[in-house]
Amino acid sequence: MKPELYACVYAAEFPSQAMLRLRPDLQSLPIAVLDGRPPLEEVCSMNRSARRLGASQGMTRLEAEALVVQHGGTDQGLRLLSRSLEGESAARAVMLECAAIFSPRIEQASQGTACAFVLDIAGTERLFGPPRALAERLRTALLAAGFRASVAVSANFHTARILAASSRGITVVPPGEEAQFLSGLPLALLDMQPDHAETLAIWGIRTLDELAALPQDELTARLGQGATTLRNLARGAYMHAFQPQEAAFALREFCEFETPVEQVDSLLFVGARMLDSLIQRASTRAMSLARVDLDLALEGNSTHRLVLRPALPAVDRKFLLKLMQLEIAASPPSAAVLSLALSAQAAQSSKVQLGLFAPQTPEPSRLDVTIARLKAIAGEDRVGSPVLEDAHLAGAFHMTDFRVEPSPAIEGNRQPRMALRRLRPPLTVRMVLKADQPDLFFDGRQSYRVSTCFGPWRSSGCWWSSGDWDSDEWDVLAQSQDCTPLACLLVMDRANCEWRLEAFYD
Amino acid sequence: MSSRSSSALRLEIEHALERSFPAALTPAHRTIHETVATGIAEVDELLEGGLPAGAISEINGPESSGRTTLALSFLAQRTAAGQVCAWVDADDAFDPESAAANGINLRQLLWVRCRKSGIPIRQRPSTKPFAQLDQALRATDLLLQAGGFAAIVLDLGDTAVEHARRIPLATWFRFRQAADRARTCLVVVAQDGCAQSSAAVALECAALRPITAGDTVLRGFHFEVRRERQRFSPIVIGQKKPPARVWPAAGAWDMEQRA
Repeated sequence: MKPELYACVYAAEFPSQAMLRLRPDLQSLPIAVLDGRPPLEEVCSMNRSARRLGASQGMTRLEAEALVVQHGGTDQGLRLLSRSLEGESAARAVMLECAAIFSPRIEQASQGTACAFVLDIAGTERLFGPPRALAERLRTALLAAGFRASVAVSANFHTARILAASSRGITVVPPGEEAQFLSGLPLALLDMQPDHAETLAIWGIRTLDELAALPQDELTARLGQGATTLRNLARGAYMHAFQPQEAAFALREFCEFETPVEQVDSLLFVGARMLDSLIQRASTRAMSLARVDLDLALEGNSTHRLVLRPALPAVDRKFLLKLMQLEIAASPPSAAVLSLALSAQAAQSSKVQLGLFAPQTPEPSRLDVTIARLKAIAGEDRVGSPVLEDAHLAGAFHMTDFRVEPSPAIEGNRQPRMALRRLRPPLTVRMVLKADQPDLFFDGRQSYRVSTCFGPWRSSGCWWSSGDWDSDEWDVLAQSQDCTPLACLLVMDRANCEWRLEAFYD
Repeated sequence: MSSRSSSALRLEIEHALERSFPAALTPAHRTIHETVATGIAEVDELLEGGLPAGAISEINGPESSGRTTLALSFLAQRTAAGQVCAWVDADDAFDPESAAANGINLRQLLWVRCRKSGIPIRQRPSTKPFAQLDQALRATDLLLQAGGFAAIVLDLGDTAVEHARRIPLATWFRFRQAADRARTCLVVVAQDGCAQSSAAVALECAALRPITAGDTVLRGFHFEVRRERQRFSPIVIGQKKPPARVWPAAGAWDMEQRA
């Protein structure tokens, strides 16, 4: 039979850890997390500094606020945050992904407010070394992801779980010594029924080794079959059918702010940490970020969505952060931000083959930043490549994102064509007609005498929609009062009976 | 009699004439500057090859003088070669249909439309012209710094001369340095010269006469282009008038010319 070996990672006070992971500015402060419906909220989790101040689980909001006042206000004293289940879910996924680096077989073993996973690490010695080395690397990886967790390694699933929950740091149990390591631990570590706990307390049984020392038959006769399970657990001999869960690869981070955030810098400060985490997780799978969606929950129950689309999948933190900053600057949220969620799509890292004789083109990542900056200057929809509409309406086009794509050289010798310079919006002019033809027009500054006109060229379309047009076009050669020649395109809007200067020939 | 080589003889003569004519018999080194064809034979002939690469070129003239057509023709050559270009449009006057008719590959063109004011160009208050100008200059600066663009057109064609001339000289110096470093042709389309000494080439455009078909259809235009300045061309002694050429441009709809 294949020898079994399990490692359990146990992150205590997970609600507070999940909140502080992305907020390094709060990590040195005493933090208590409140859970429940107001006004009946209770403290469900806290960090070590808060515990030192006297905070404890089950404390009501009033009691916790009394601690705040007692220790000199919110700046230095206890800070109270609301629990974020969505943030915990995202943090749990990150923790699971960290653990998945070391073993593909993982079972969740969370209890209460703690988050715990048990990894089947049998046969990983050749990859990660002896169990203690693996445990150290596992703990370091979790620490880098922002989690303080204890790790216990044992040949018995439940022993590893109980030891991880009861100790700090790393515990490695040699095979066959499970009972010794479990001795002295309190009975509360076992998930037992209340009547069993009461009976054992009446008998004076306080620790696991005391429970393990009881005779099995007599214990079963008095407490039933469940007592046998408890005794085996206390001896470190209870067998477990491992049920591995598949970690879904979803790049998502979530952070809820304790107060609405109005400053972009504060948003970026948190966003940078979240982006780091996404990059780190994508990099462990040798992938890059092809698209990052930012979902901002705003005050007033509205949301604001921004999308980062680098030209090539990237893992460059500075580049992605700059894109994020420019994207937020180009379309800032309309109200203060309550929470920030980042979700990313991973793609294969880009490889660009440059050619010796290929024309020089802008570097994709640098071009992305440049275009984002241009959009911040000129406007979101005013930078890109024009695409002509397949329509009869003159001058119809729309803008698309500018992408540098390899384009083969083509024959470029064409005769030049007279270009138009459009007036956007067109300028309404006052027209004087002579024999039904333009003779004199005034553009608001000066008048022009028409010397020659060609037309009219009648066009109409889209009569079935609101974008209909019906107009006569005239190509006009005119002279201003100071004898400056002008060639222009004048349009008579037949629907509104007005003349417009649409464009100049240039 | 000892035979002397021609080079030794040349050195001896140059040494003797050193005080009056330094390096009398050694031809001066001539730097070959890279030029890029505009696609209009007459203009290329005038410019001895085309617009200089890595420098500022000015195309000046009033409305309907052919400056936009010339700039579009130049960009068409660049995009046809598979290169990437940009059009910084201070007054949002660029017409994509004209660009396509001139042969520009629109997918290779980045168009920056400075923020719209909602007021027609000729009705805008003349006291607040600098917001769009500032945007255009900042956009040009960013594109030059980004590098990789073969040509950038800064279109100030509808910007009043008095406003365009107020662009600081330091800005043009910076553009010249950046264009040189990135080997980008920066083409400034304006009503009158504004880049001053930073421009390597300054062309002055004017409309000559229309090409018509039976007085019913405008088929094109004859434009005149004068070379006002060309920094790297040799000085021709005795030349009083700037050299000029006439070039034709057909209408985009002229199927006869198109065929």
